[in-house]
Amino acid sequence: MSGGRGPIDPEPMFDLPPELAIDTGVARRVIAEFIRGQLRQAGFERAVLGLSGGIDSALVAFLVAEAIGPERLLCVMMPYRTSSPASRGDAEAVVAALGCASELVEITAMVDGYFGAGGVPGAGGADGLEASALRRGNFMARMRMATLYDRSVTWGGLVVGTGNKTESLIGYTTLFGDSACAFNPIGDLYKSQIRQLSAALGVPEAVIRKAPSADLWPGQTDETEAGFSYPVLDRVLFWRVDRRRSADELVAMGFDRTLVDRVDRMVAGAEFKRQVPPIAKLGPRTAGVDYLYPRRRPGSART
Amino acid sequence: MQPLRIALAQIAPRLGDLEANLARHHELIAAARDRGAGLVVFPELGLTGYQLQDLAADVAMRPDDPRILGLADAARGTSVVVSFVEESGDHRLFIAAALLEDGAVRHVHRKVFLPTYGLFDERRFFAPGDTVRATPSRLGVGLGLAVCEDFWHVSVPQVLAMDGAHLLVNVSSSPGRDLASTHEVGLGTASSWRTLMRTYAQLTTSFVVFCNRVGVDESLSFWGGSEVIGPTGSPAFVAPMFEEGLFTCDIDLGDVRRERIALPLLRDERPELVAREWGRLAAGRAGLSEGGGR
Repeated sequence: MSGGRGPIDPEPMFDLPPELAIDTGVARRVIAEFIRGQLRQAGFERAVLGLSGGIDSALVAFLVAEAIGPERLLCVMMPYRTSSPASRGDAEAVVAALGCASELVEITAMVDGYFGAGGVPGAGGADGLEASALRRGNFMARMRMATLYDRSVTWGGLVVGTGNKTESLIGYTTLFGDSACAFNPIGDLYKSQIRQLSAALGVPEAVIRKAPSADLWPGQTDETEAGFSYPVLDRVLFWRVDRRRSADELVAMGFDRTLVDRVDRMVAGAEFKRQVPPIAKLGPRTAGVDYLYPRRRPGSART
Repeated sequence: MQPLRIALAQIAPRLGDLEANLARHHELIAAARDRGAGLVVFPELGLTGYQLQDLAADVAMRPDDPRILGLADAARGTSVVVSFVEESGDHRLFIAAALLEDGAVRHVHRKVFLPTYGLFDERRFFAPGDTVRATPSRLGVGLGLAVCEDFWHVSVPQVLAMDGAHLLVNVSSSPGRDLASTHEVGLGTASSWRTLMRTYAQLTTSFVVFCNRVGVDESLSFWGGSEVIGPTGSPAFVAPMFEEGLFTCDIDLGDVRRERIALPLLRDERPELVAREWGRLAAGRAGLSEGGGR
């Protein structure tokens, strides 16, 4: 199955594996109510999110605007000096389409202040100048998180998560970085489903069509870095996780054994990123162990 | 004609906020009465919200709690089904549905099947009920109360119908999940429930009244879609999904007699046979004999 085929453009915008196709009308309904419920129960009326120019944050911006109105949404664009200007343009197109508030916060000074720049070491020490892409990428994600949580105070809104199910399962996220949020409306949708829902909501076509990228260096794309395409990865995850099929059963279905094994390892290796850190059990009642309350209950809302 | 107007209070309870939910119940009971409803049904844990976890003990009530009796008092002239956390004399907590009539608590059903798998963790916080009984009502017919998961076990509607229920009332907090586009109504949960309720109505030749909540508790979104199904298995009314509201539906209770004369399934049931076979299977599961699915 392919999605988003328009009357003029003969090329579908994306591949949509049939088993992943969702009812987008129901998804919109559920997610809108989820967003409103989360805000109401926390005593907030506004929301803030980091808008990268990619499809995930664009979709969340559309969903939040639909749920509470664009005037209550602040999109923060947080480029680093090497970030693609095209990403910035795509983010601005989303803001223009929605008519929501937006803000530009360059994180270059924050990141260079730590790692150093132009041969001058930063606060993180001399080796910062040689820091790996992994260190730099994680640090950038956490500077964006810190910025969003500060804007959460100035804007008076909750930080909305923009991570999808595919990247969460394989661990293609930064702990306490891009995964940090007050709530996440799209965290149970695979990338293919993100594309399907984005097309249904009218996210700009250029945003849907372009290759997903963490935009940590020029030309980087998720799929070349990971070595497989999202529709295939989504299918492997769907059958393994949601449909509880064994690795052997996936191979019998025609999936490549090496790929299935590799995905399995990534999922197991990222378990820690999906859970609240364990607390050593010492007292009579321990949060998350035998002190179990809903996050939102009488008295929990900001007044 | 035995006309009955049923009001389905498809509400979004506030989690743990007993006072707010109580006020909403009073408001909707009054509104339903104004609209001439003879039976008003609220969803599972409508007085407390669903995802209570350790809050369950904080919102628990005895059936003779003044707040429940206050609702019973407000219910005079109609039959009202409400649901709350019931605390027994020995301090067990149950998910209860109560029939309120004539200023009193006429019947309490304690949820028998507590889902503790997948996204559910009910057995951790609640004790299961031990009885499935129909109750007479001021409506002139027997009522069978059940709570959500009770209807995922075919024995419950069957026992209720055999015990004299003409109206099977299921109150639910069913969280929506599985958005695959291949489902009849875009939501796997809703499609499954619809299949079950139509089947039970037909097999028990009874009305099935399903009241499901809406709104959000934590990660869970409840889908509504409350229904009334006639004894032929055809829906008499389907409420919109996800939408809060008080929905009314008119039925003719005489349909039960007509269907049971035309299709005497209950007459032809073999309770002694079923009891004998269940007895054998129960003994097997308990390790007292061979068989029983071990």
